[in-house]
Amino acid sequence: MSIVQVLFYFMGLITLASALTVAISKNLVRSIFMFFITLFALAGLYVLALADFVAVTQIVIYVGGILVLILFAFMLSGKEALAAAQLQSNRFVSLSNLPALLLALLFLVVMINIIFKADVSNLQWIKEANGVKNVIGSNESMINNIGINLMTRYLLPFEAISVLLMVALVGAAHLSRKEGTRV
Amino acid sequence: MNKALPYQDIQTVCFAIAAVVLPFAAFVINFLFLGKSKLSGWVSTVAILVSSILSVIVFTRVWNVQQIHVKHLWFIIGDNTLYTGILLNNLSVLMLGLVSVIALPVHIYSTAYMKDDAGYSRYFQYLSFFCFSMLALVVMDNLILLYAFWELVGFSSYLLIGFWFDRATAVQANKKAFIINRIGDIGLLTAIIILFNQYHTFDIAQLFKDGGLIASSTINNGLWISGTTLTPVVWQYIACIGIFLGVAAKSAQFPLHTWLPDAMEGPTSVSALIHAATMVAAGVFLLGRVYPLFNEAELTTLAVIGCFTAFMAATIALTQNDLKRILAYSTISQLGYMVMAMGIGAYATSLFHLVTHAFFKCLLFLSAGIVIHQIKHIKEDNHLNIDPQDIANMGGLRKKLPLTFIATLIGGLALIGLPLTSGYLSKEGILVQAFEWAEHKGSAYMLLPVLASITSWLTAFYVARLILKVFYGDMHLLTLHPGIKIHIGDGGWRYKLPLVLLSLCCLFPLFSLNPLSHTQSWLLYGLSSYKGYTESIFEIIVPVVVNVLSLVVMYYAYIIYIKQSIWVSSQTGLLYRISFNEWYIDRFYNCVVVKFVLALSDMTFWFDRKVIDGFVNLLEKIGVFIAGIASWCDRYIVDGILHLSAAIVQAIGGFARRFQNGKVQYYLFSMLLAVIVVFILKILIWN
Amino acid sequence: MITLTDFMIVSAVLFCTGMFVIISKKNSIQILIGIELMLNAAILNLVAFGKYDRINNSGQMFALFAIVLAAATTAVALAIILNVYKQYKTIDPDKIKQLKD
Repeated sequence: MSIVQVLFYFMGLITLASALTVAISKNLVRSIFMFFITLFALAGLYVLALADFVAVTQIVIYVGGILVLILFAFMLSGKEALAAAQLQSNRFVSLSNLPALLLALLFLVVMINIIFKADVSNLQWIKEANGVKNVIGSNESMINNIGINLMTRYLLPFEAISVLLMVALVGAAHLSRKEGTRV
Repeated sequence: MNKALPYQDIQTVCFAIAAVVLPFAAFVINFLFLGKSKLSGWVSTVAILVSSILSVIVFTRVWNVQQIHVKHLWFIIGDNTLYTGILLNNLSVLMLGLVSVIALPVHIYSTAYMKDDAGYSRYFQYLSFFCFSMLALVVMDNLILLYAFWELVGFSSYLLIGFWFDRATAVQANKKAFIINRIGDIGLLTAIIILFNQYHTFDIAQLFKDGGLIASSTINNGLWISGTTLTPVVWQYIACIGIFLGVAAKSAQFPLHTWLPDAMEGPTSVSALIHAATMVAAGVFLLGRVYPLFNEAELTTLAVIGCFTAFMAATIALTQNDLKRILAYSTISQLGYMVMAMGIGAYATSLFHLVTHAFFKCLLFLSAGIVIHQIKHIKEDNHLNIDPQDIANMGGLRKKLPLTFIATLIGGLALIGLPLTSGYLSKEGILVQAFEWAEHKGSAYMLLPVLASITSWLTAFYVARLILKVFYGDMHLLTLHPGIKIHIGDGGWRYKLPLVLLSLCCLFPLFSLNPLSHTQSWLLYGLSSYKGYTESIFEIIVPVVVNVLSLVVMYYAYIIYIKQSIWVSSQTGLLYRISFNEWYIDRFYNCVVVKFVLALSDMTFWFDRKVIDGFVNLLEKIGVFIAGIASWCDRYIVDGILHLSAAIVQAIGGFARRFQNGKVQYYLFSMLLAVIVVFILKILIWN
Repeated sequence: MITLTDFMIVSAVLFCTGMFVIISKKNSIQILIGIELMLNAAILNLVAFGKYDRINNSGQMFALFAIVLAAATTAVALAIILNVYKQYKTIDPDKIKQLKD
């Protein structure tokens, strides 16, 4: 077992454990912080999947943007939201959660079943990619290639995403404005 | 038929129609336009005045001159053609004249007599209506219309008896009169139906004229033969009994006489006109109309009943204390005379007596009305609690009411039948003929004229008693209630004029120039059926004996009542009680007939309630039960299906609705569940 | 060697966890976190498969786009949650059910 594999399992374990903690935790703040750990662990998994740029972006945007946004929203929304957030049943397997748990497990079973059935490692296009050496090597940096692709091949989605992002920001700002400041 | 009549006759007919219709016009005017106005009395009086003048003209033109019969086609039903019209012969014009001439003084009298009554105009409406009905009754030529007006006469009599309908006794009396008259009406109607069945016509002239249909029909071997119609003879008897019932009810003959004394509850002027002079004579008039129908045996029965009625009523009149009741019983008695006279074949004399009786009885009633009126004044002035009609309270009124006294005296003498009065002429005629009739028939029949003579003496006694008690002696009221003030008199001209007129009519010159012989009366010669009879010994003996004995009886009464020396029978004697209680006939009717009818009604009521209603209720219950079943079916089966389908739809809807609970997570859960189910299915199928 | 299957199993578990969070939690912000978990599971798959496209880098590119979209989504969602809280004084989605029939 190589060190990479050990790292993978370690990261995967952290990811899943923290994600499950998020799911189980009753405390909103605690679950937010566990989510923070999950995101970091996922970034580690991205690195192990040879996508270091994506891992960095994950940390920057998710941890630096989304998570902070959530924390801000939560903190700014005041004491009542905090109090309301605390008012939850403490049991993990409560009667109300049971259907959700069963459904989730069912999904898991089905998905794992499908994953094993699909046998993704032997897919046609992966074999072809292996054949023409169209595989990212473990010591290669893809950042240049990504930048070129972003400005050439994926220019249209890139611009569309930019516009969408702006629209979302404007919309979010509009929605969260104070009452009576309607322009 | 009309075209053949000369102008004079048409005029006569028009006069007769006008005489009949004028009172009706007065009734209509009073009823529709005048309301409670005091004018109504004069409208009625003027109408009856004109009517009586016209009647007299018609009388003079028709009497002993001709018979006028006018008829028009009324309607055709099946094969039967009905005519309506008027028949003016001696009998009808006599009655026409009599009714209107009697009605005139009564109207005049009434305007004064009723002037303080609240129902003044109503009274005159009824009175005019009565006059119209009565006049129409006498001139009608057909049995149907005769019957109709017969009923109307009874109806207006009913209204007038119950004129003071706030008195319980008046209501009882008019109910009684109406019911008893109904019995008679049924009889008359039955007779009319039988006659029509036999002769196929209602025409009085055709049926009853000399040599008419009735006269030409014979009774043979138990069959009643007329033309081609053969019917069992029993129908002829039934027809006669029916007519007799009608006569008995209207003219108050023995079994059905009890209503007349009670009818005195009406105003006295009404009693004078209707229940003494005119309406009760309608029965005798009817007998006169249908006279040819009766055969020998039936006539004898009629005579017996009439005689018995006369005798019975006279005995009752002996002891009554109510002024009007005495007069009512004397009316019954005199009507009995008339019926008896009809029965013994003295047709003309009977009608003669009808006419004279109408005058003197009317006179007596009007006088009694004045007396009662004055006593009532005394009662009201002095606040006494007395019966104003009780003769025990009266006495000594001779000086207070001189004219009334004279009028009563004349009327009373006429009623007794003393010479110089009209009553003598007719009554002696009846008695003489009764004796002659009995002599022809045999000794057993002698009882009848003897009884009639006794009745005559009884009449003399009670008339004397009446006059003596009312007008002679001392005022009993003064002895009973000393210190009361009495201001009474004969009253105004409206009281006096009728009395004077009627008193003159009660004297002999109007009817015969010879005051002692009834055979010379012009009236008798005018009535066609009158058969002259031979001079007989009765012609002299009977009047003398009867009148002498009457005078004796009157003197006897004078001794009893004025000298107060003797009493005929003690007040508690059996005969007295029989007489005072009116032979217990009323009580008998009450005990037997009324109770029986009531019991029958109760029984039928019970039957109706229990059986018919029970059946109806059973039907109803069955219906309700069926309806219940239907309702159950409807509710549980039809509605059940409906409700079931509705419930299914509702359940489905409710089930579907549960998914729409507004919970986002629940929607998501459902969606994911569906997805996973699809996945699982897909996997299973894939495998 | 880390196989694609390993990545996919991790991704699947992550996805199911996210789904469980979304369905069961009574707090809108936690639901939002659940959504992010599911998104990350997807991104992990994209990245894992992106290893076999060296020239076009399509997996990594779309992973980037997805991250950006997630950021936009989160911003808008948070704004909505804040408004809802202002309106209904709660962020429990079960209590906001005026769309119920």
